[in-house]
Amino acid sequence: MSGAHTLPNQLPPIHSFLTTRPQTTLSRLYARPSACLAVFRLLDDVARQIVMSLLWLDSKTGVDLTSWVAPNETARKHYTAAVQGLVRLHIAKDGNGRILVLPAFQAGLRRALTGGGDHRSFGVPFPIARGKDAMTTEQLDDYALERWESILHFMVTSGSAVGRVAPPSNAVIFLLRRSGLMVPIGVEKSPESRITSQGFQFLLEDSHTQLWDLLLQYLAMSENEGRDLVEVIGFLFMLGSMRLGQEYSTENLSDTQNVMLQDFLDYGLIYRRYPDDGTRFYPTRLATTLTSTSSLSFTSSKHEKAASEGFIILETNYRLYAYTENPLQVAVLNLFVTLHSRFENLVVGRVTRESIKGALANGITADQIISYLTVHAHPMMHKNSPVLPVTVQDQIRLWELENNRLKSDNGYLYEDFNSQGDFDLVLSYAKQLDVVLWENREKRKMFVREDGHENVREFIRRRAEA
Amino acid sequence: MPPKRPAEGAHPSSALMTTTLKRTVGSAASTSSKKQKRGLPAQSAGLDNPQYDVPGSDDEPLEDLDLVSDVGDDASSTDNIAADSLIPRGAKLNLSALARKARQYERGTRADLVSHMFGDQDFAYLQLKGDHVSRPLWIDPVDGHIILEGFSPIAEQAQDFLVAISEPVSRPSFIHEYKLTAYSLYAAVSVGLETEDIIEVLNRLSKVPIPENVISYIRSCTMSYGKVKLVLKHNKYFVESTHPEILQTLLRDGEIRGARVVPGAGGAYEAANGANGGQTKKLLHSTETGSGKGSAAGTPAPSGAATPNQKPGQAEADLFTSVVGVDQDEIEEDDENTVSFQIMDDKIDDVKKRCHDLDFPVLEEYDFRNDTVNANLDIDLKPITVIRPYQEKSLSKMFGNGRARSGIIVLPCGAGKTLVGITAACTIKKSTLVLCTSTVSVMQWKQQFMQWSNITDRQISVFTAEQKEKFSGAAGIVVSTYSMVANTRNRSYESQKMMDFLTSREWGFILLDEVHVVPAQMFRRVVTTIKAHAKLGLTATLVREDNKIDDLNYMIGPKLYEANWMDLAAKGHIANVQCAEVWCPMTPEFYREYLREKPRRRMLLYCMNPNKFQACQFLIDYHERRGDKIIVFSDNVFALEAYAKKLSKPFIHGATAQVERMRVLQNFQHNPVVNTIFLSKVGDTSIDLPEATCLIQISSHFGSRRQEAQRLGRILRAKRRNDEGFNAFFYSLVSKDTQEMYYSTKRQQFLIDQGYAFKVITQLEGLHHMPNLVYKTQSEQIELLQSVLIANESALDFSGSDLMGLQGAQGQKARKSAQKYEAKRAVGSLGALSGAQHMSYIERNKTANRQLARDANASRHKLFKKRDVQKKQANAG
Repeated sequence: MSGAHTLPNQLPPIHSFLTTRPQTTLSRLYARPSACLAVFRLLDDVARQIVMSLLWLDSKTGVDLTSWVAPNETARKHYTAAVQGLVRLHIAKDGNGRILVLPAFQAGLRRALTGGGDHRSFGVPFPIARGKDAMTTEQLDDYALERWESILHFMVTSGSAVGRVAPPSNAVIFLLRRSGLMVPIGVEKSPESRITSQGFQFLLEDSHTQLWDLLLQYLAMSENEGRDLVEVIGFLFMLGSMRLGQEYSTENLSDTQNVMLQDFLDYGLIYRRYPDDGTRFYPTRLATTLTSTSSLSFTSSKHEKAASEGFIILETNYRLYAYTENPLQVAVLNLFVTLHSRFENLVVGRVTRESIKGALANGITADQIISYLTVHAHPMMHKNSPVLPVTVQDQIRLWELENNRLKSDNGYLYEDFNSQGDFDLVLSYAKQLDVVLWENREKRKMFVREDGHENVREFIRRRAEA
Repeated sequence: MPPKRPAEGAHPSSALMTTTLKRTVGSAASTSSKKQKRGLPAQSAGLDNPQYDVPGSDDEPLEDLDLVSDVGDDASSTDNIAADSLIPRGAKLNLSALARKARQYERGTRADLVSHMFGDQDFAYLQLKGDHVSRPLWIDPVDGHIILEGFSPIAEQAQDFLVAISEPVSRPSFIHEYKLTAYSLYAAVSVGLETEDIIEVLNRLSKVPIPENVISYIRSCTMSYGKVKLVLKHNKYFVESTHPEILQTLLRDGEIRGARVVPGAGGAYEAANGANGGQTKKLLHSTETGSGKGSAAGTPAPSGAATPNQKPGQAEADLFTSVVGVDQDEIEEDDENTVSFQIMDDKIDDVKKRCHDLDFPVLEEYDFRNDTVNANLDIDLKPITVIRPYQEKSLSKMFGNGRARSGIIVLPCGAGKTLVGITAACTIKKSTLVLCTSTVSVMQWKQQFMQWSNITDRQISVFTAEQKEKFSGAAGIVVSTYSMVANTRNRSYESQKMMDFLTSREWGFILLDEVHVVPAQMFRRVVTTIKAHAKLGLTATLVREDNKIDDLNYMIGPKLYEANWMDLAAKGHIANVQCAEVWCPMTPEFYREYLREKPRRRMLLYCMNPNKFQACQFLIDYHERRGDKIIVFSDNVFALEAYAKKLSKPFIHGATAQVERMRVLQNFQHNPVVNTIFLSKVGDTSIDLPEATCLIQISSHFGSRRQEAQRLGRILRAKRRNDEGFNAFFYSLVSKDTQEMYYSTKRQQFLIDQGYAFKVITQLEGLHHMPNLVYKTQSEQIELLQSVLIANESALDFSGSDLMGLQGAQGQKARKSAQKYEAKRAVGSLGALSGAQHMSYIERNKTANRQLARDANASRHKLFKKRDVQKKQANAG
């Protein structure tokens, strides 16, 4: 969901990550056509439009595109934001309003679009052996989902005593801890982990965002370990441009990339039909949609509808009906819903003060709950406007507000004034500064906000000296 | 010596428990074997002939009856026990015990990662049917809940069916929930659904196969329900059934046999022989043997007679008379293949109770078309009267087979319950008694009768504290209140005469308005003193916090119909309502006292909260300017008066005299200057004010869901409801951080389940800029606080004495006299007495009622007009 709905000044997370890298790194990355294509695909519409129109232009000075922009505020804003984004990604150069696509990116993307060359950055397909069927996309989806959800499920259940799920590999746990989504219970080395409030928030995001969140952490980790970032990102982009259901060979991959391949097995990005055969692999839908801006839609047999379409019905009487048989979705719902009963394809629960309070205590915010419910709302719910009953939304927010009823301000107490006159003088001064939080004339006391303390103290000192 | 009975009569609840257990084990066990089991513990060792049953059963219901009549006005706990014993046993059947067993069976491998979250409630083992997508409902095996997809194409049909067989639990926009209960199934049978049909249709609609235990539950509930009918024909009571074997079972019971009227006295004895001999033999082998001769002849069996020394031969002979005889000539074959036997008029109650105990609750029907004994009443709906589709539907449930069934119809307030009642009366066309809760509604009923039907003034009469009239002619209509009829205290000569008139005659039809508010014992007294053929209860909400609703099932009949609020609102029959809960923070001073005080005074504190006062004032002002007519509700009379006087609005509460009430109501309806009235509980029900479009609630009866719904009902019939974009408003003012918040949530539950949504308002925009805002300064607020703190005990009353005006004139008098002698003692310093500490005597808050009265008088003569004008100018100046 990163591209389509982002505001003009927001880049997808991977792009934000890229903008923090030096230009040399990016130039090396853009040497791979697959990376150029992937970066291009993740751009927003306006930026893509700009790149496309300038791609085949062999001008050295660039072109002024402002005349293309509709003469209104929002259009202009979109345009400037897009240009800025391109500049920060070192895709284009902005010379006094004249835009020019930089040669490295231009060459890479041209090559990606026209094909040819021996860069092999789109992966090397593994020839299908005679008499053997390729894996179907359903099988791959089943596998990927099972893998991915087992990680999430592990996170969900790590907080509770019952129904724990077997933990994924140590590498995964390490990454989860590194991302701050989980913390070890007890000593640092202990294998037992507990989910953090960040982790709970993570669970309510859609899988595309979740995946990128983790992969960015992975990138940062790889960088720390001294791996070549271009290799790592390049490989991610390569995966993103692969075709689902096609088996690929590892012959073209570097050592780093082979290590990554091994890591990604744990997340369900990669499938190996023959675990011992290290020369080939299948990318799963999780991998192939990495650089797509549309959300994941699995064609899995088991999770037919639930995964893609909305499944939650929330009524004005706070009852929640979820058309799901997916244990992970049930477990996530369990974070903020009091579940009551379950049928094979339906879960019945209720949004209660206790359940919401529990979620808030876990660090989940009311807005996250509401957005999760909205995003996953059943198609029937979309007949309503707004999708969720307003009263329930309000109530969830009010429950959140209940937590923030005490507001604390730091400050200083002034007392023991010698005379009423002194007190009044200081008080009126402090009031001019608008820093008085509380005052009591009879007791000659007042409380001054922290930021006003310096001034008031100075004022008193000056008075005392005078 | 007669064997000692088990403590069934004395401790009905414990007896009930044992039988409940048995039911769960073998729910479909035949009655005779069950009876055997039940009797077993009573059998003393010396008895070889199990003849314990008959003499005992004569004693038992008598005890039962005593218990009931003794209950009277005292402790409700006794009443509970008595009432419990009347609940059909099926109602207590423990469904979950059955379910657990079934589940242990079926569970097994299907448990997955999240099963533990649901515990007993994981029904994933129920396999979906292949075409489940096109079927609209799920059935919960544990508690019989049915979940319905409201958006399914066949949802409407499914809803009709579910309303017939189950209780609606919640009906918001998409997913509805229903619950199968013993009573709902009873009602289903009583409107003519057959067990197998219920199961079949349910199975057709369900996504999952119906759990085995639910099927057996339906079977066990419907097996006996509704199979026996009590019919008044030719002014004789008949027990009627399409199943002869059930009548035989019943007749084997000593008491019912005792109540039977045997035509041709001794003739029955000779009839014992012939064709049914084989059957008789079979019966003989059962433990059931005959009673004494006396019972067959209609007198209670002498308890000593049926002892072991009775000769077996004689017992056989008696049995022949009681069973074979019935088969042959006494059970009248009807054209619909029904069999029946007659019972004595004065034993009807005993028989009904006994049938309940035997798990064959009788269904009361009135064959009014064939009733030639009672005079017909010439009454018909006026041609202009239009009945709405849902009203027709509810009536069709009542008159489904050409007879009148007794039962309850549930319609939201404002949906035209009165018209349903009137139409029912017009269908039966016999003498009708209408009972309602207050004198005001008595008047309204009469007026409605005159409006919708062609009845003449002579034919309809009212019986209240003030008016006692009889109708002329052989048949007519009497409208009265429950308290008038159920009153046991001394009556005036006139009302005694009127009562005699009521009890002496036979009523074709008795209409019971607002059945849910009437205490059970009052009902019982009404039902037993007045002889009526058919009973119809009308109500908007069949919920009560004390679950006394179950009593109604026994005393009146099953729920025949319940409408869906949201549907009616969508079709414009009732108004659309915006509900809101306004949170008013407590002022610090009030909150400090709130934390200190005893719970009773706390309630007064949170409803006198100055912020609430202001919110109330603001809302009144806002809506008056919009052109709304506003009713403000307060349960607490002290608060009611304080608010009304401060804001100078007219008010009505229990102690307001009838004339004054009428005047205030009339002004509210017709006077464009009077747009707001304050009502206490008296206004909860029955006061019909179609002008009202906005409701504000400042204090209420704890967590009563019923009251909330009733109050909402006051604006549902708003005249302007069909205006484009019209909304009625319902505000509930709640003091933040007090108990009220908790109660408020609880109260709203019913309406929320009906699909209403309460919006929370934490901040009223513009409140603080309002001119003339009351209690703006701290000192005013403290003054108010003082007045609350010194308010005497009676001011703290939130529950009892103001109720309904049910107590009628006596209640009012008692109240008034009590007020007269009220004195309060307060500690005060000399300073306080001399006017410090905000204590002073100034009458600032005058009641607006008086102003209305003065205005009413003002128009009496031209001569006074000038003077009035002058006076007004003087006042203004």
